[in-house]
Amino acid sequence: MTHLTMEQLLNVREPASSPGSYSAQQHLETCQVCQAELERLHQRTAQLKALPTLRPPRDQWLEVRSQVVAHRRRRRAVWGGVGGLALAASIAMFLVLGDRNVAAAEEESSRAIGTAMAQSQMLESALGRFRPERRVTDGRTATVVAGLESQIAEVDRQLQVAGMMRQRARDEALLDLWRQRVGLMDALVNVHLTRATHAGL
Amino acid sequence: MTRVLALESFPLANADAVVARARSGDPEAMEQIFRAFQTPVYNLARRICRTVEDAEDVLQETFLEVAKSIGRFRGEGSLWGWVRTIASNKALMRLRRNKYRDTDELHDEVLPTRKEDRHLRMDLEAALERLPEMSRAVVWLHDVEGYTHGEIGAMMGKSVSFSKSQLARAHVRLRGWLGEEAIA
Repeated sequence: MTHLTMEQLLNVREPASSPGSYSAQQHLETCQVCQAELERLHQRTAQLKALPTLRPPRDQWLEVRSQVVAHRRRRRAVWGGVGGLALAASIAMFLVLGDRNVAAAEEESSRAIGTAMAQSQMLESALGRFRPERRVTDGRTATVVAGLESQIAEVDRQLQVAGMMRQRARDEALLDLWRQRVGLMDALVNVHLTRATHAGL
Repeated sequence: MTRVLALESFPLANADAVVARARSGDPEAMEQIFRAFQTPVYNLARRICRTVEDAEDVLQETFLEVAKSIGRFRGEGSLWGWVRTIASNKALMRLRRNKYRDTDELHDEVLPTRKEDRHLRMDLEAALERLPEMSRAVVWLHDVEGYTHGEIGAMMGKSVSFSKSQLARAHVRLRGWLGEEAIA
């Protein structure tokens, strides 16, 4: 008597995916050897599912986080350029079309925002050239960096919200947030540069 | 201490809200997703990849991809199902990149063939570890994670038949290494 092959037994286990398994099914109904083999197959699969879960040997969140931040930074650098152009265009519109009294105050505000944005982008570029995600960092520095990056991420979220405000309130909020961002970016660059200087990297 | 996980569902309180926050770039939301799924992702990666280092790399690559693509997750399936598919793809990519010994023929050359070795009983963990990489990946993805042969073939860039034959060969080997009697 020819018994079922392993492939046929596996097909019997999944009849929906194997239309040719009808004859194998018929054989199985009368063959105790193959029934026992199929039962062992079921048991082996159950044992595989019951294998102990292997856990990560260490917490990798800070590494993942730093890669995510680096990715967002690169993306932001691209969009930052587009945003800068949009801001410059809006300043030009004020100068051409706006009421001169109102425009004077708003122009001043827009210029200050533009300056802060340019500083922030300059620091982003400096950090990008430094490629911190590729450098070895000790735990304490990583914690400081993670804290600063969290604050920068929070400022970025607030910048998105501020972008939807009315003109006057928006400019005040934007200026404040962009200045906060410059301060945080400056601190972040300093952390990496200080570490690189001390480590001789 | 290890424990067996119910691989079909992992609790993430307020998953919809967490995903929405992660989409807007909230790092705390991303951390919540990472904490909820890091162990099953690592377990899957470690079962497929040969080394701890590769599994750690797969873990990082998976969550970087999750962060990049979370905006495209529409919530049509479970969040874990989506993360698991990313992890499976990353693990298989790692196998291909490392050019492991993934052909049966080559692996057979390094396996012991002496008579006493054939009667050596192994536990399932050791036997699984001993399988060729692609066979082990198919066993794990099909029998444990529940992917179909069609899905596995698509992930591996191979045919359904490839997946089926790899699974059958793997079970024949496991049966032998576990000291179970083969049918006459």
